[in-house]
Amino acid sequence: MNLIAQTLADGMVLGGIYALAAVGFSLIFGVLHVINLSHGILVLIGAYLALIFTELLHVDPLLTMPLVMAALFGVGYAYQRLLIQRAVDSSPIGSMLLTFGVALMLQNVMIWVFSPDMKNITPGWAFASFKIGAVTFDAVRVSALLASLVLLSCLAALLKFSALGRVIRATAQQTLAARLCGVNVRHVYALTFAVSAAFAGAAGIVIGIILPFSPHDEATWTLNAFVVVVLGGVGSPAGALIGGLLLGVVNTLTAQYIGPSFPNVTMFLLLVLLLLVRPNGLLGNAFSASR
Amino acid sequence: MTRTSSLMLLTVAAALLLAALPLVLPPFYVRVGQLMLYSAGLGVAWAILGGFAGYASFGHAAFIGVGAFSAGLVETRLGGVPPALLLPIGIVVGGACCGVLSALIAYPVLRLRGTFFAIAMLGVSNVCAELTNNVDFFEGSLGLTFPSVVPAGLDPAIFFYELFLVASLAVLLIAWKIRDSRFGAGLLSIREDEDTARMLGVPTERYKRTAFVVSAILTGTLGVIYGHSLGYITTDSVYRNDTNLNLIVYSLLGGMGTLFGPVIGAFSLVFITQVILGRLLDFHLFATGLLLAFLVLAAPGGVIGLVRGWRQRRRRSGAAPAE
Repeated sequence: MNLIAQTLADGMVLGGIYALAAVGFSLIFGVLHVINLSHGILVLIGAYLALIFTELLHVDPLLTMPLVMAALFGVGYAYQRLLIQRAVDSSPIGSMLLTFGVALMLQNVMIWVFSPDMKNITPGWAFASFKIGAVTFDAVRVSALLASLVLLSCLAALLKFSALGRVIRATAQQTLAARLCGVNVRHVYALTFAVSAAFAGAAGIVIGIILPFSPHDEATWTLNAFVVVVLGGVGSPAGALIGGLLLGVVNTLTAQYIGPSFPNVTMFLLLVLLLLVRPNGLLGNAFSASR
Repeated sequence: MTRTSSLMLLTVAAALLLAALPLVLPPFYVRVGQLMLYSAGLGVAWAILGGFAGYASFGHAAFIGVGAFSAGLVETRLGGVPPALLLPIGIVVGGACCGVLSALIAYPVLRLRGTFFAIAMLGVSNVCAELTNNVDFFEGSLGLTFPSVVPAGLDPAIFFYELFLVASLAVLLIAWKIRDSRFGAGLLSIREDEDTARMLGVPTERYKRTAFVVSAILTGTLGVIYGHSLGYITTDSVYRNDTNLNLIVYSLLGGMGTLFGPVIGAFSLVFITQVILGRLLDFHLFATGLLLAFLVLAAPGGVIGLVRGWRQRRRRSGAAPAE
């Protein structure tokens, strides 16, 4: 009983972080219909920027978040305006391959700059933990989870209540109609990309706090994001949260009860099954591109 | 008609020339040649589904792996069989396993379109890889040693070079036959507009599934030969994600949806990565990424697309003064 509770709790904590790492991917997919295979790279850039800022400013890694998010906001805006925009209207495979090409280049650059070794930004209070009932929580993991929940709520509020959010949702629903109503669609695309990159960067910090990272991890985070989005549904923070929690719980349960090397098998089986049974995700609004 | 037959003659002549090449080439280039022919065969097999029908799979390495592992597992258990029979048996077993697997997943997976199909195939490839790695029976993490099938007195490198040449030529001819048939025309109509094709009475579901199975069997066959040419395989040496990607890049580089596009693409990409960038390993990923981005942005039609566009422009400018 304790074991199950502990496993579920660990899965939830992990899932919250998966959700944060995936929400930007989901937003781009929902609004631009682009599968951003360089998403994992953006996550890692966030982690490496946090590493640099932490060493420069001697502050706690979580406090570097505004800086990192601002930097990635700019990077995302420029990236979309200069590169992705040229491929948005071509075939979906085209834009996907473009982002993959960028991911390969940036991964190579990161290996040059930061070396292929594992790095981490674990803060000083990393080994504190507390107990609720019989279940142990690491302080560092719980704070990572809290950070991702707060950020996800902020994004949900931004999309729901602000003018920018309204424009983004309108563009996602009916690009042509939004353009007719005077929305500058290119600008909205770029802003969406920028917001998504900023959240990827924030996710990078949260991930860097609990796990070591290296330039080779980018594919893992891109794939995780994809699975989360397929599970939860496209374009909404709530969908990402559901998908992330589900993935986290499934991963820890598989590792605990089937074998430590099997989470990838169940993850991809889940991915393929869900694509077949419910291609719009558990909370998804239907998107026509899938069939 | 004359154009097709002259192209056919040209292909046969090129194949004969390629067959004679290993007699003069240094051993390193024979290895590169093997890889070129193998990649070209894979590219063409991929293009039967991805190029003709427009269903770009991102997980064809699944069939390379399933083919190689099923053949290897059977061959290592056939102790008394003469080595000359082993490879044919392996090819039949590998092809059959890929055929069965692809026929099983064809119905559900082909309901998805575009990127969703691509990613579902990536999932399939990863599930196969992880199962091969983690289920002890498949020996994926330990590795599997193939029995030797090279006839006595032959240089293995040259033997496999010729084998890849024959196999890839066979794949090319099959793809050629398909493209010029009613079936091939049906596949093209699926690529252009699946719903309209269906409305006009093209049996799209059956065509898609057949193309998928054919493509999988050919890929699996090449995978079996590849396994033999390596001699010893682990999960990581056959289920490679860069193969998954490269199969798309070959078509993109040569010309998506064309017959010779994947061949041109595979030859040039293997040459670039193995010979030109062979000494610059640090630069490898960057160069591949740059090429990919450049292709998508500047030359979406690939080499063949560029040549066709150039010819059209020349014809037009040649015709203009006459009017």
